Amino acid sequence: MSSVNAQIKRGSAELAVLTLLARQPLHGYELAKQIEVQTEGVLRFDMASLYPMLHRFERKAWVKAEWQTLANGRRRRSYRLTPLGRKQLGPLREQWRTFFQAFQNVTGFQNA
Amino acid sequence: MPDWKSVVREHLRILSACSPEFTETIVEELGSHLEDSYEEYLRASMTEEEAFQRALDEINHSRKKWLALRLFKEDIMTAFARKIGLPGLLTFALAMILAWALDMAHIQPKTILLSNGAFLSLPVVWMCPLPVCGALGAIVSLRNGGSRLHRRIAAAFPAIIFGTVLLLISIAGYAISIFVPNYDWNWKFVVCGLGLWGFGYSLLPAIALLLGSALVDHTKTKHRTAA
Repeated sequence: MSSVNAQIKRGSAELAVLTLLARQPLHGYELAKQIEVQTEGVLRFDMASLYPMLHRFERKAWVKAEWQTLANGRRRRSYRLTPLGRKQLGPLREQWRTFFQAFQNVTGFQNA
Repeated sequence: MPDWKSVVREHLRILSACSPEFTETIVEELGSHLEDSYEEYLRASMTEEEAFQRALDEINHSRKKWLALRLFKEDIMTAFARKIGLPGLLTFALAMILAWALDMAHIQPKTILLSNGAFLSLPVVWMCPLPVCGALGAIVSLRNGGSRLHRRIAAAFPAIIFGTVLLLISIAGYAISIFVPNYDWNWKFVVCGLGLWGFGYSLLPAIALLLGSALVDHTKTKHRTAA
């Protein structure tokens, strides 16, 4: 798979994270894994990208973090989308849809 | 099993400058992430040493400083907004509303003519309720976990803004005097004028505002002693 420009990756990161969290609450490691698996490795989050973003979302009250204690006593910080975060997701999806539509119109990629 | 929290603390030392609760959250969260990675590498039939090294690489690569700095920024920005920014803006807004109300009521600052021809403008009536504004800013900062320094900055915010504006005006004036030909920059006049304005609209209001902050500190100490 060809590499994707870093700026496009960054721009799409928010949408990817919010979309996954809209389905179910996840902790950071799960999020990173699911994005990597579902995009077949095209999008790959390292810690330097993922955690500052999650904390920024938390500050904006788009996500709410809760500690979960596992059977072995270990704790994980699980993130779930808040109603405010869900509100952000709609317009964000729409923006990307418009962007890709416009891009396809220019490049004709869907027929390539 | 490696102590992943210690690994994170060791590799992200800059986080020690963050608030303790934020640091603890990050250390435990990233430690848990590394432990998950480590366990996955073990499941992929790596030796413990290899798995440890691979997990370590995730935090130890070239972007570790970037990670720490971004997390640091997230915390500082939050703390700044909560403890200084919002209470400071509240104090500033209250002070401005007061100034506007006095202007509407045609209550002008007291003007004192000095012997050298300069004049000192003293907004005496405006300064009287400023301790209340300062106290309100300090209370909001206190409620948001602000330290004594945070509370003082939040309380004195309007005076800091005025002082900064005066400073910028003097810098801009000086720059103009350099770049505009035949611009007569009268240092004596400018320094005297800015000094007088700084005294009347920055220094004295700062004292009044800090008085409010000091009252909050005093009340807080009293409550603590009583408890």
